[in-house]
Amino acid sequence: MANEKEVIGRIIGISELNVKVLLFNESVKLNDILTYEDEDGIRKFEVVQIDNNVASTVPFERVIGLKKGGAVTLEKGGLQIEYSDAILGKVFSPYGDVINHKELKSVKTRNVYDRKLSFKELNINNAPLWTGIKALDFFAPLQKGFKMGLLGGAGVGKTVLIKEIINNVYKRLKSNAVFIGVGERSREGQELIEEMQESDLLDKMSMVFGQMGENPCSRSKAVYSGLTLAEYLRDEKEQDVLVFIDNIYRFIQAKSEISTEMKRVPIENGYPTSMVSDITDVEERINSIDKGSITSFQAIYIPADDITDEAVQAITTHMDGQVVLDRKVAEKGIYPAINVFKTTSKAVDAEVVGQKHYDLVQETLRYLSRYEELEEIIAVLGIDELSEEDRMIFYRSRKLRNYFTQPMFVSENYTGIKGVMVDIEDTLIDVEDILNGKYDDVDESKLLFRGTLHE
Amino acid sequence: MSEHISNLVESKLKKIKEEKNVFDTGKVIRLKDYIIEVSGLENVAYYEKVTIRGKGMGYVNEIKENSVIVAVVKEDKPIEIGDTVNTTGERFRAIFAEEALGRVTDLFGVDLLTGRAFEKFKYIDIERPTVPIMDRTPVNRPMMTGIAGIDLIYPIGRGQRQLIIGDKKTGKTQIALDTIVNQGQIMKEKSNKNDIICIYIAVGKTKKEIKSIYNELLRRNALSYTMIVAATNDDKTTVQSLIPYVGLSIAEEYMMQKKDVVVVIDDLKAHAQSYREISLISNKAPGREAYPADIFFLHSRLLEKGCQHKCGGSITILPIVETKGGDITDYISTNIISITDGQIVLSEKQFKKGQIPAINYGVSVSRLGGAVQTEDMKKLGSGIRRELLSYLETKEVYELANMDEMSPELREKMRKGKLIEQALRQNKFSPLTQDEIKERFKMLGEDAK
Repeated sequence: MANEKEVIGRIIGISELNVKVLLFNESVKLNDILTYEDEDGIRKFEVVQIDNNVASTVPFERVIGLKKGGAVTLEKGGLQIEYSDAILGKVFSPYGDVINHKELKSVKTRNVYDRKLSFKELNINNAPLWTGIKALDFFAPLQKGFKMGLLGGAGVGKTVLIKEIINNVYKRLKSNAVFIGVGERSREGQELIEEMQESDLLDKMSMVFGQMGENPCSRSKAVYSGLTLAEYLRDEKEQDVLVFIDNIYRFIQAKSEISTEMKRVPIENGYPTSMVSDITDVEERINSIDKGSITSFQAIYIPADDITDEAVQAITTHMDGQVVLDRKVAEKGIYPAINVFKTTSKAVDAEVVGQKHYDLVQETLRYLSRYEELEEIIAVLGIDELSEEDRMIFYRSRKLRNYFTQPMFVSENYTGIKGVMVDIEDTLIDVEDILNGKYDDVDESKLLFRGTLHE
Repeated sequence: MSEHISNLVESKLKKIKEEKNVFDTGKVIRLKDYIIEVSGLENVAYYEKVTIRGKGMGYVNEIKENSVIVAVVKEDKPIEIGDTVNTTGERFRAIFAEEALGRVTDLFGVDLLTGRAFEKFKYIDIERPTVPIMDRTPVNRPMMTGIAGIDLIYPIGRGQRQLIIGDKKTGKTQIALDTIVNQGQIMKEKSNKNDIICIYIAVGKTKKEIKSIYNELLRRNALSYTMIVAATNDDKTTVQSLIPYVGLSIAEEYMMQKKDVVVVIDDLKAHAQSYREISLISNKAPGREAYPADIFFLHSRLLEKGCQHKCGGSITILPIVETKGGDITDYISTNIISITDGQIVLSEKQFKKGQIPAINYGVSVSRLGGAVQTEDMKKLGSGIRRELLSYLETKEVYELANMDEMSPELREKMRKGKLIEQALRQNKFSPLTQDEIKERFKMLGEDAK
């Protein structure tokens, strides 16, 4: 193959993530793919920088054994992925190859960077969308076309929550969905594929995986490839599409690794200078148009439990709502470990969710913030020293806190309790009842990991 | 300018072709600790092994337009500017020797106990590509450690990556050693022996520490199925940063022989530090806490080698991380927590109270939980865990409250919680079987429902 194509350059420098190619002509552009073939097989590189006639390229895979002087050819069209109905039921690598042992008869492919949404095309849809997860629907309700960020440090339950949402929303709505695995565990990817297959749910879904064992090029490309699949479903099939990204922080992380290898000057904490534009490029593609919508759930890893991290902030700017998971809450065995004060949504607005829901959220937050203050007082003085009123707030707040725990379908194995979905109307009734003292005589532990309280 | 480079490359390529010399020679032109720059190696491959004539060995870390960067792994005599460097035509690789079982081996396949190289061996890649998603199967077989606090409450499965994290002197290595010794018990109980292999990887430990671990395992008859792969603290930093990969490549060999491998990496904080040192010496831009941007990838690709393979074999990894002041939210710890399938957190407070093993049950996690337990262990475990966590949380809030004024339910909860805490105490090297654990917690479990 290689000798049939025109040789357009030679390899002159190699490091782990940067292969330099001396170009013979000017036709090479950014994002073009160069290929090199030897007895070890075909290696591919994507052009990310051109200085005069030297191109810096990122290799798709590791470059052990590569030598200087190799002749490279140009692969036309840049990175492509299938753009047809054939994507459903398939699991892709970030480079568009099908990995779940299914044959793909390619009908049509499309470049993964092409699509940009214009101002004119954009549609701000607003039908509400319920997840059946009490804390989410109550504190951070969402609408179709929303971007919901699920933030949390390591090991506080982001992936469990995103899987629960897949279970509750995708399974119930039966709408098309795309799952994009970025820099997360291969084990979880394998489990998700198997679960979807076993429950016959893979036929309306496509998945892309660039997991944490793969090089940063693979991890960052998974996002572009996955979005192209989602755009096909939105633009061509005119569907309301669900997009799950676990984990969008890993995209920036991968970009940082590439940027460092290119010897570009970093900003704080080693992030690339182009961080904001990188994330904007992909986030702006995740929007709705008249023909179809994209509702996305994006897990966002918080490095070193530092929520002020630049990358985390750059990503959350794009979100319509956010659920923040907190280690301090998880330590108390409260799952989902939601920090109610940092969990917000644009839809917490009397005009969107109604006056009653809005008022209950405000009142609940008032109780819980007083509770936090009281906890400190109690640590010094004990409960007995509190006023009647404060003692009431203290006990009811603990009940509220316990009430917002919920057994999850996807963690049945872990908790040994069957998962439940709760209607938002039921949640509102229960919260109102707790606030009004209906459950004052019930032991607080009775409210842990339940669905609704009233029958 | 471009034409000049082009001419330069062309002429050099021509020269190589004419001479047809596979084994290139070059000269050291720059020295920066163990990172050296060499000119003249035109036909060298990335990651190729090179020798510094009569003085040491290294591998190609970067190929530049006019020179090559070599990372030195062995230096018998001090390297100087102008020293001759030879290519070998071989990839830099590690050694796999079955006879290293029961011994302490280094990166180069030398038995550290005798100082002699193993005779029967084969070369293996230091790092292989990650096992693809579709070659993995679910992690669902229990890997019993013999420790009730783990097997019952935060269980580990074959193919799981479970972090052991805590301050100095909280018993991290002890948990790993207990686990290794218990694997011998498991094989003894079963009729088909020899299907479990343990690998203890020492990263930057002192020779004294490694020797005492060797003695400990020898005394417990655990060496017949255990290999110690070590880079001591006076080995080259490059070697220390490669040793975990070597250990896992050896583990992969056994996994493909359908064995269940248990790998301990002691410890990854030291590993991260050695990698940071190399990165900074190589002029890579520092990020958070001066670690390079790919510090996550360093550990993620390493720990992704832990898996249940479709061939039937598995690699369970127990990485160890040392913390300061009990803080598990620092950069490296959270990175690793975000890779592993759970963590066992050890606390100094528990240790001092005599609550040994000093597991902090509040912050420990197993992401696989009941999926890797037998049905009855899962039932018992989830009840006990709920009861225990609820007790620990309540204890904190009501510590100052008057016991007599508590509701009977609350008083009962406190009583039971204390009993569970007591039952979880266990001395080192005194493993419990599943049946013994069930027996010990049966009463408490029944209450718990």
